[in-house]
Amino acid sequence: MNRLVALLLIVLFSAVPAGAAARLVSGVSNDTIQITSSFDGERLTFFGTIAPEAGSEQRYVEGPFDVVIVVLGPTQDRVAREKTHNFGIWLNTEQVEFKRFPSYFHVLSSRRLLEIADINLLNQNFILPEAHAMIPNIAGFMKTLVFGRELIRLMSEQGLFGVQENGVRFHSDTFYSAQLTLPSSAPPGPYIAQTYVFQNGEIIARKSEGFAVRKIAFERFLAQSATQYPLLYGIACVVLALFTGWLGGVLFRR
Amino acid sequence: MQIYLPIAELSVNLFFLVGIGGAVGFLSGLFGVGGGFLLTPLLIFSGVPTSVAVSSVTGQVVAASTSGALSHYRRGGIDLHLAMYLILSGILGAFGGVATFSVLRANGQLDLVIAVGFVVLLGFVGILMLQEAVRALLKSRQGVVVRERLPNQHSWIHGLPWRVRFKKSRLYISVLPVLAIGLFIGFVGSLLGIGGGFVMVPALVYLLRVPGNVVIGTSLAQVVAMMAATTIMHAVQSQSVDILLAFCLMVGGTAGAQFGAAAGQHLRGEQLRGLLALLVLAVAIRFGLSLVLTPDDVFSMAVTSAVR
Repeated sequence: MNRLVALLLIVLFSAVPAGAAARLVSGVSNDTIQITSSFDGERLTFFGTIAPEAGSEQRYVEGPFDVVIVVLGPTQDRVAREKTHNFGIWLNTEQVEFKRFPSYFHVLSSRRLLEIADINLLNQNFILPEAHAMIPNIAGFMKTLVFGRELIRLMSEQGLFGVQENGVRFHSDTFYSAQLTLPSSAPPGPYIAQTYVFQNGEIIARKSEGFAVRKIAFERFLAQSATQYPLLYGIACVVLALFTGWLGGVLFRR
Repeated sequence: MQIYLPIAELSVNLFFLVGIGGAVGFLSGLFGVGGGFLLTPLLIFSGVPTSVAVSSVTGQVVAASTSGALSHYRRGGIDLHLAMYLILSGILGAFGGVATFSVLRANGQLDLVIAVGFVVLLGFVGILMLQEAVRALLKSRQGVVVRERLPNQHSWIHGLPWRVRFKKSRLYISVLPVLAIGLFIGFVGSLLGIGGGFVMVPALVYLLRVPGNVVIGTSLAQVVAMMAATTIMHAVQSQSVDILLAFCLMVGGTAGAQFGAAAGQHLRGEQLRGLLALLVLAVAIRFGLSLVLTPDDVFSMAVTSAVR
């Protein structure tokens, strides 16, 4: 928090006034998020200021600006499945696979997205969740559209996809900050936060920051053993089970 | 207190896990069954991915059955010769079960097959047990002494070839039905994440006429060995065994089982069997409803590849 206040002060004093060419000076509160045994989600703060282009004659930039922050998690192949009623029971019959689909996607913006810019511009830059499901798919256009929309809905219900149209707050004309709570279900891996600065419906500056969500210590050890030494891991599970069972019998023997 | 499960990749309340482990352990101690058939559904209904639930419960079943198997072994209540045949065929069946498990998971039909498996298996066993228990209860109320069928009564099973003498069980029977029971339990147990004790015990008693003093011990020994092998297979094949989840369940389970066993002494055998039958049927009906009723959401999603 202290670091944040210090940065805020530095940014406020260094931020000077005007013009169209602008650059973005930004940061994120954590560069790694550590998953420990008590991990229950984590709060991240994004902040930054809009400054004149480096080396330009301008002394200050002129607003108003809009800021959109897109946080993208590692990609996975995901399928959306549909149950249908057959012979009296419900079973999965149709499915569409989405290759390299983001496991986490959140958009924070300072205003309603459609007021900030044109929908085509937003889609081109993958700012809207729907853009990720519109990538051409072998399943065909209509099916991809339906299943993609449902997949995004399911992801949103789990808190993995979301849009917060008041997530970015301006503290002055050029300084903003935004907070995001990463849920405990957010998958580990590399994350990217893309920040876009809009003015009059156009992107005038952009910057991306990376941060990582990592299992550490014991959690990391367990997850790695399970994938790298599955046989030993399995044997360890069995030994643990046999020991616990034996110990239980000894402790409670009457 | 939340605890993060590294394989399931979600955080769950620690007391909830130990609590359901304890509650199921209590019931398993009460009825003398492994409890996998209750624990797997409970985990699935509380949001743990089906594949992680099935393979982690496999580990918990090993722990739950070990203390029982050891105490039966000390009392000489295990026919090791018979258990060996059951274990070898059981492990063979488990290979099939684990392979089927992976194929089903890839096709998105795992949940369906597990639900259907639970409905058919538990429904069938539950109805049989309920019938038997009700009959016994009615007869005991009328004052009739219930006589179990004598072990020397023969059926078609005793006419099969390749007979082997099992000294401890005082049996001279064909190995074919023994191997068939082992294969079936191995396959079903590894696919559904249950020990299969509640299928094994009736099969040994009614099909093979194994005497009562070695039935439970032999079945427990088979469950321990087969589920241990299955745990390793799941760990290698689907890498979905969550050791932390399994451990929380084990701790609750082994403690709960002791209280359950103590409580069980206050109830009569046929009452216990009747209650167990109702419990088994309840689980079967719960799964049956999930198949038949219109789901809240006809759409579902799953990850098919690791994070990149």
